[in-house]
Amino acid sequence: MNISLTSLALQNLARRTFRTYALLLAIAIVSGAIFSTSTLMWGVNSSLKKGLSKFGADLLVVPKGSMISMKSALLTGEPSLFYMDGGIMEKIASLKGVKAVSPQLFLTSVEGNCCVMGNAFIIGFNPKTDFTVLPWLEEKMERPFQIDDVIVGAANSYAVGDKIFFYGQDLNVYGKLGRTGVGLYDNAIFLNIEKAYSMAEESHKIPGVAPLKLVRGHVSAVLVQTEVGAKIPFISFTISKDPDVKVITAGNIITSVRQNLVTLFGSTLVLSFVLILANALMISAIFSTIVNERKRELGILRAIGARKTSIFKLIVYEAALLTSIGGALGVFLGIIIMRVYQRTIIFNLKALNMPYLWPPASSIVLLACIAIAAAVIVGIAGAFYPALKGSTLQPYDAIRAGE
Amino acid sequence: MIEIKDIWKIYQVGDQQIEALKAVNLKIEKGSFISIVGHSGSGKTTLLSILGGLTKPSKGSVHIDGIDVWTLNDRELSALRNQKIGFIFQFSSLIPTLCAIDNVSLPVIYGNRVMKNDRKKVYEYAEELLSTLGLTHKLTAFPSELSGGQQRRVAIARAFINKPAIIVADEPTGDLDMQSENDVMEFFSRINEEYQTTFLLVTHNLALARMTDKVHSMKDGMLISANNGGSPS
Repeated sequence: MNISLTSLALQNLARRTFRTYALLLAIAIVSGAIFSTSTLMWGVNSSLKKGLSKFGADLLVVPKGSMISMKSALLTGEPSLFYMDGGIMEKIASLKGVKAVSPQLFLTSVEGNCCVMGNAFIIGFNPKTDFTVLPWLEEKMERPFQIDDVIVGAANSYAVGDKIFFYGQDLNVYGKLGRTGVGLYDNAIFLNIEKAYSMAEESHKIPGVAPLKLVRGHVSAVLVQTEVGAKIPFISFTISKDPDVKVITAGNIITSVRQNLVTLFGSTLVLSFVLILANALMISAIFSTIVNERKRELGILRAIGARKTSIFKLIVYEAALLTSIGGALGVFLGIIIMRVYQRTIIFNLKALNMPYLWPPASSIVLLACIAIAAAVIVGIAGAFYPALKGSTLQPYDAIRAGE
Repeated sequence: MIEIKDIWKIYQVGDQQIEALKAVNLKIEKGSFISIVGHSGSGKTTLLSILGGLTKPSKGSVHIDGIDVWTLNDRELSALRNQKIGFIFQFSSLIPTLCAIDNVSLPVIYGNRVMKNDRKKVYEYAEELLSTLGLTHKLTAFPSELSGGQQRRVAIARAFINKPAIIVADEPTGDLDMQSENDVMEFFSRINEEYQTTFLLVTHNLALARMTDKVHSMKDGMLISANNGGSPS
């Protein structure tokens, strides 16, 4: 026996169980949709930021006609093969404002009986000029990187110290990169570019294995790092004068992913906002009914000393309680659905060239709080007018209206 | 003391104006035990509700202990209703989601006059009131589990929980059998004598009215006569 605002509100909500459960479900659907959509968007966005910050290059020069394949390779780790003459590196390095230039060479292995392990996206890089792989090692051996070493992305199952072999070459897993959500870093195996060339040459000598079609001196992409304060658009423009190449900036990649993001989630967000509005109107209509049903009771409460603000608080509190429970339920359902379908979600996002990394627990908690708070705000906004109406009734009129 | 001066209550129904009360004047001394009788629609309940601060008069004033009730703001008026006046309505007026003892204690909680530690005392007093009214075995019963008469007795107990100076009661014994009616009137009388509580009863029941000190009659929104009643006990 302890009367409080909470107990009164809970008891009132328990009076009409079907109505309460139906409202809870409606609120849960909306808050669940908001929470899931924002979590997925956050995941794509943060993965993109994290991945591209590790990318470290201001410009990426690729052969003409391979821009889409490069973006796909970069974002999802989808193996792509395209080559150009590596001589372009000297030209780029000579441009004013260019700080560093480093090549990358893309290969794919085809699984073979004796000499090739697994289908892998192999990237040759030059450890002497590299500024995008070695700085981001999360785990590594306590020695310098050597010619027979490889570095694996976080999505690979290999561990530091493991032995792997490609095209008859025994290689040591020297280090592992941290997870980024960006395919290039998570899925690929990085090895010395010189080793990649010699491996391609050796592949021609192995019977029964499709040889790697690669010419020494060719590269797939040139990564360009500029000086602080350099005019990147100008450098990009100068490089683009070469008709055989295309220049990709980090901004290009982010924009294209964000466009996909907006296309995919835009309609969901619009639908969520429409649902929020519909929920607010529904709550308003239902609380108007509740106030009408309980007019006599509200009049009696006023007669025994409840102030207008107490009545207002009681009604708004009921709405806030209902929507907070509904909001929490929605978040809970959202988490369960996302966990159950997480592989499908990530697969589908990757198919749309969108990297994905689950947001950290702290961000998920923040998004959950925002979704619940949004539900509560909708509840309060919806119940505001009926509460105001209920609280300003003359006690005796309210009592008589309920007779 | 309660002083009602030139009270009018006019309702607008469509194009028509209905005068529920017309120039009512009444003085009620502290500790008096009076009743108002009259036919349905004579304005008894409207007068009671204006006096109790539940409905605003169209014209006129109500003074309780020198305070002009209808000039008070919501906070002051709510405090007056909570602390000075106990209401007994002619219909079921319990909160359906609360058990009997919680219904009785509710005005104290709403009055914000008790700290958590004092809640025990409030419940003890609520229990005492319910026991006095013969409901010891129904403390935790919900209104839906009580008969009409039992609900009425819970509502009576609730009116007394804050030990108000004034009790306004609209057909307080309407649902009660003869024995319970006598018990309730005896209880009213005892409270009236012990605490000098002012009682204002509205009733159709002339026998009940005659048990009060003074009987006022109302007709067509006007007080038409006042007779000395009998002893309430």
